[in-house]
Amino acid sequence: MKSFNMDDRLAKNRFDSDDHNPHIVVDKIACKTCQHRACTYSCPAERYKWDKTNDVLSFDHVGCLECGNCRLVCERLKEGVSGYSWNYPGHGKGIIFKEG
Amino acid sequence: MSEEKFQVVVIGGGLAGLAAAYKLAKAGREVLVVERGKAPGAKNMTGGRLYAYALNELMPGEWGDAPLEREVTREIMMMMTPETGIAIDSSFGSMNKLSYTVLRAKLDAWLAAKAEEAGAMLVPASTVDGLIIRDGKVCGVKIGDEELEADLVISAEGVNALVAERAGLIKPVDVTNVAVGVKHVYKLSEALINERFNTVSGKGAAMLCVGECTKGVSGGAFLYTNKDSLSLGLVVDSESWKKSKLPLADIAEEFKQHPAIIRYIEGGELMEYSAHLIPEGGIKALPELYRDGFLLAGDAAGLVVNSGFTVRGMDYAILSGIAAAETANEAIEAGNYSAATLKSYETKLRQRVLQDLQTFKSAHDYMVHTPHVFTTYPRLAAELMQNIYRVEGAPAKRITGIAAQTIKGKMPYFDVFKDMIKGAGSL
Repeated sequence: MKSFNMDDRLAKNRFDSDDHNPHIVVDKIACKTCQHRACTYSCPAERYKWDKTNDVLSFDHVGCLECGNCRLVCERLKEGVSGYSWNYPGHGKGIIFKEG
Repeated sequence: MSEEKFQVVVIGGGLAGLAAAYKLAKAGREVLVVERGKAPGAKNMTGGRLYAYALNELMPGEWGDAPLEREVTREIMMMMTPETGIAIDSSFGSMNKLSYTVLRAKLDAWLAAKAEEAGAMLVPASTVDGLIIRDGKVCGVKIGDEELEADLVISAEGVNALVAERAGLIKPVDVTNVAVGVKHVYKLSEALINERFNTVSGKGAAMLCVGECTKGVSGGAFLYTNKDSLSLGLVVDSESWKKSKLPLADIAEEFKQHPAIIRYIEGGELMEYSAHLIPEGGIKALPELYRDGFLLAGDAAGLVVNSGFTVRGMDYAILSGIAAAETANEAIEAGNYSAATLKSYETKLRQRVLQDLQTFKSAHDYMVHTPHVFTTYPRLAAELMQNIYRVEGAPAKRITGIAAQTIKGKMPYFDVFKDMIKGAGSL
């Protein structure tokens, strides 16, 4: 059976994305000091990637499934330290499950 | 006092919030549900199966038109190794409409319509940003610049209970008490599902797997038959997964290619890919359920039990919604919204929901701290079955000999014994 990459999978979903107002904010420079980078392998939607060429985190809130796992595996997001925040999108934006 | 004051404002239009709103509206109360999704269900996801008794308690005899997918009459427990699946497959002639597979986008929309019909108000596409708190009493909610006053606020905001957390009313949920679920929904014709699962329309199967599906990490896989689709996915302990360093999205995709799974979903069209957290901390992680002017219900309160064989949360969400509505009614009648009055909410929950959480108080710890369940035992089971059925002309052995030969050197008997005793005391 055909394997889907993440873009294929997320393309099946319905989103009303708020492109310019990320509901999750991370400090990609500060992330360089993170020891575990659990977001890069614990996010079900692969929104967090480690860019090996530039040795920096890349993050895209568009396509987020709003599960909240990153908020718990990342100490900085959980504590909401400076440069990091996790919120749900406002005004009905974000994922719209049609199956659920 | 603002003219727009509601008797009760409910945060979250999921099963807990909608059940509370339905009951309150039926009792003639002015109740408002604030839902962050564009429509109820838009942000919700389940594996999943709903135990029907809860619906019946919410609206006795009136849930006949609920969008339930299939009644579960076949239960499959599977242990997986990379190539093998060993299953205990129980087909029941009748389960007396015990449980049904459901899809939340449909179910929640239906329940919301029922609540609105009963007189509840629903405001979708609105995210509650905070609470109005005066002298320690919750007096309403804040949505952007808007403030909505209420005698009582019921938080049914789900597992990421940001509003209650940020108001300091509950401790933030911890990564050690949460599992993450990912799910694929595959469209497949009703006839093909009937054929592949050896079932008839309206009835279907629930499958839970352990072992290779999660690469031995604490958790499991699920497969549920809907009317004309299949729900397939993984649930893994969030902290254990973090330690495993395995790519979650890849493993969820890889699992569907397993020979024991692919034969069910082959040819299906992917409809949706979703993810959600499950609060599995149980009674040990239970937050404060009531405060002055405030009640906590459903996933926000962590009302979930994973016993290893049954996974329950939606029925408890409905029961807690009912209990919250009953408590709110008492408070309204008494004109008193203090924690002392609302305490009866916990008493109501203790009769069943909290009692179940108490019964399975060690289940989560057992599953996280008994790695053999997800690694060694599935492998041993597969080898044992292979050895039992292997006939190649060598001198035959009795079953005890085969079992001894299979287990020998793989792990100390004492460990097996210990896991069994511990399991018997936990699950």
